[in-house]
Amino acid sequence: MSGGPQLDERGRPRHPGHRWRNIFTIAALLLIAWAALDIDVRPERLLTFPQELWTTVARMFSPPDLAYAPRALEAMIESVHMAWMGTIVGAVLSLPAGFLAARNTSPTAVVVVMRQILNIIRAVPELIWAIVIMIPIFGLGPLAGAMALGINSIGTLGKLTSEAIESIDTGPVEATRATGASQVQMLRWGVLPQVLPEVVAFWLYRFEINIRASAILGVLGAGGIGTLLINLFSFRRWPEIGTTLLVIVLVTMAIDFASAAIRKRIISGLPTKATTEAAPDAAGAWG
Amino acid sequence: MIRFEKASVTYPGGVHALRGVDLTIEDGQFVVVVGLSGAGKSTLVRAINGLVPLTDGRLEVNGRDVTKLSQRELRALRSEIGMIFQSFNLVKRTSVLNNVLMGRLHVTPAWRSLLGMWRAEDIELGMQALERVDIVEKAYVRASNLSGGQQQRVGIARALAQKPKVILADEPVASLDPPTSHVVMRDLQRINRELGITTIVNLHFLDLARAYGDRIIGMRAGEMVFDGTGAEADEHVFRDIYGRSLTADDVIERAPGAFAAEGTG
Amino acid sequence: MTAAASTRRPAKPRTPWTIWAGVAVFLLLTFWAANPWFGIGFTLIPLFTDLTRGERIIAEVLQPNWAFLPRTIDPFIETFQIAILATTIGCSIALPVSLLASRVTAPNAATYVSVRTVLNVIRSMPDVLWAMLFVAAAGFGPLAGVMALTMFNLGITAKLTSESVDSVDTGPIEAADAAGATRVQTALSAVVPQVLPGYIAYTLYVFELNVRASLVLGLVGAGGIGRVLQTELARFRYDNIAVVIILTFIIVFILDQVSRALRRRLV
Repeated sequence: MSGGPQLDERGRPRHPGHRWRNIFTIAALLLIAWAALDIDVRPERLLTFPQELWTTVARMFSPPDLAYAPRALEAMIESVHMAWMGTIVGAVLSLPAGFLAARNTSPTAVVVVMRQILNIIRAVPELIWAIVIMIPIFGLGPLAGAMALGINSIGTLGKLTSEAIESIDTGPVEATRATGASQVQMLRWGVLPQVLPEVVAFWLYRFEINIRASAILGVLGAGGIGTLLINLFSFRRWPEIGTTLLVIVLVTMAIDFASAAIRKRIISGLPTKATTEAAPDAAGAWG
Repeated sequence: MIRFEKASVTYPGGVHALRGVDLTIEDGQFVVVVGLSGAGKSTLVRAINGLVPLTDGRLEVNGRDVTKLSQRELRALRSEIGMIFQSFNLVKRTSVLNNVLMGRLHVTPAWRSLLGMWRAEDIELGMQALERVDIVEKAYVRASNLSGGQQQRVGIARALAQKPKVILADEPVASLDPPTSHVVMRDLQRINRELGITTIVNLHFLDLARAYGDRIIGMRAGEMVFDGTGAEADEHVFRDIYGRSLTADDVIERAPGAFAAEGTG
Repeated sequence: MTAAASTRRPAKPRTPWTIWAGVAVFLLLTFWAANPWFGIGFTLIPLFTDLTRGERIIAEVLQPNWAFLPRTIDPFIETFQIAILATTIGCSIALPVSLLASRVTAPNAATYVSVRTVLNVIRSMPDVLWAMLFVAAAGFGPLAGVMALTMFNLGITAKLTSESVDSVDTGPIEAADAAGATRVQTALSAVVPQVLPGYIAYTLYVFELNVRASLVLGLVGAGGIGRVLQTELARFRYDNIAVVIILTFIIVFILDQVSRALRRRLV
């Protein structure tokens, strides 16, 4: 009877039971109950809160101060600039980092070290980079924000790039090696063409994330939409806040949409004029 | 000239891929290597351009001792040896011409190769190579849009673009259908005869081996068990090499029974 | 080769205008972003001239004031509680929402288009903005933090899960349909089991994100450890900030390991 299901009196298998799953579920429920009961929130607030939320939202949109839109747009653009430059810095530095961190393009010792460096960079929130290093060096303002975003992006982009490099087809790489090409030429012609579309897609996705992150850095004084929001909220300028919200949503959604479209196009392969024909030529029926 | 002297290759897992092989190949010969997978034919071919290093013995290629070359000298040697692969190994995302020009990488300075700005004389060489395999109209077509046979011809053009002294072909037709396989083998034979390039081809289709090879080398368990012409390689010889009777998988077109009755080529 | 062969050579095709346009757009955008007049004034010079300014702060950060540790315990606990509640509420709502947001399980096109749009709007608002909004409505404190992160979690989890649903194997759905199941029954029996492993992974993932996010939320008054960060920043006590940073790392690291182990056990 070893290795088979446990049987009951009638010879039918017993339900195997989900021990770990049940333990986890109970633990999770206990944890949630503790969090809900212990958290420092007065229960009355839960009742008054929806009403207050509604009032605030109403103040923001009845009517929103549309004349404020240009100012809000200006701040949003500054945030986008911050995210753009930060992504470029991250992309440029993550490409060599990715090569160094990939087992098939770099010696093991270097791979191990590089991976740890990337892990540490990834673990540090861009907030911390900004506070501790970038703002002191670059001063308050979007430049510091861009650099903080850039350094932080290297971590994630470097890891994703190295994973893409590790999953390439080795055939073309071997072929490049067999022609007597140098190491750099091998990377350029054997590895890069295979990973570039995927890597560029990572860069675009990172740009989308960095736009949100730039708002956070703005809260620290790096400029852009974050700084603007802090000011508006502290002076309770509701109609302007409403307009700003609209600007943020519209701009971000537009950028997300464009980025997703470009990413899809890249992954499915950019069409060029020369790719159209594949029919056998007249010279040989079996080409 | 290629000369193996007591050449052995033992892979890290303990597999003896080559055992004390002694073999000399003069310039201009068309040699076909046959044997089961794992018999050592792939290792033999890849040892010639140093992709697989020897663990024992000596290998002299084009006047150099392959076992003693530095990285740079090895690259120089490889630039004189063109290689063709079973899965074509083209860079799918770029044009046919760019793939062929990869054969000129060794003589292209770094900045040019990074930007893909090939020299005019190299482009001319690439075009000529494509003309020789009759596929020049596809020069700017993306490599992934070609059929298997077309891709392999591009692979041959890439090898030709190196202006090689030796061409190595590792199972070049294993992924192709019979008519296309004949086209590719004919191309290789023609190149060998017209340009005098030493050609070494791995095959597991015996009728192709006999049809196209001037000289046939049979490998079994890492040792060379046959070295002769196509005429001398009859069914008994092949049974020696394969250690079993022939099956339909061993020939590209006909039942093995017809093989013995067929006589020479 | 004969002259006839050379005349068959194709002319080099010109790069399509779309490539040139793309490069031009990219360069323009970069110039627009980087220039000093109406961009951010991108330059790396301060790295060489002002590197030492950062030194003082880094020196302080490298000498964490461990005596400060007890003052961080309560705020970290609050961060934890915020993360737990926000993940619970946000991800619970996200599961049914994700079914409505997917072509495969939504009752009609209007539903999934509108739900998708709402999710996109939610996701386009940075978590700081949600936090500031809820602080304005509910006052300072963890309630605002829970609500803000709930929205954040809802947006991310619903989007990721709905994408899983989009690419689900339709075989079991067909089978359920053929057996006469209602749409809800089909969703529960044929779809949800397939996306559940991914959904659990996303839930654990956003939980981790929530813990990191609390650094930020606290800055605007939504509770958690960020509150401490804000105070110490204002006091320029980088040695205390260092303690906060180190503890956050450790906690996130532990969470990462735990969530990996959980995923292995549950999935």
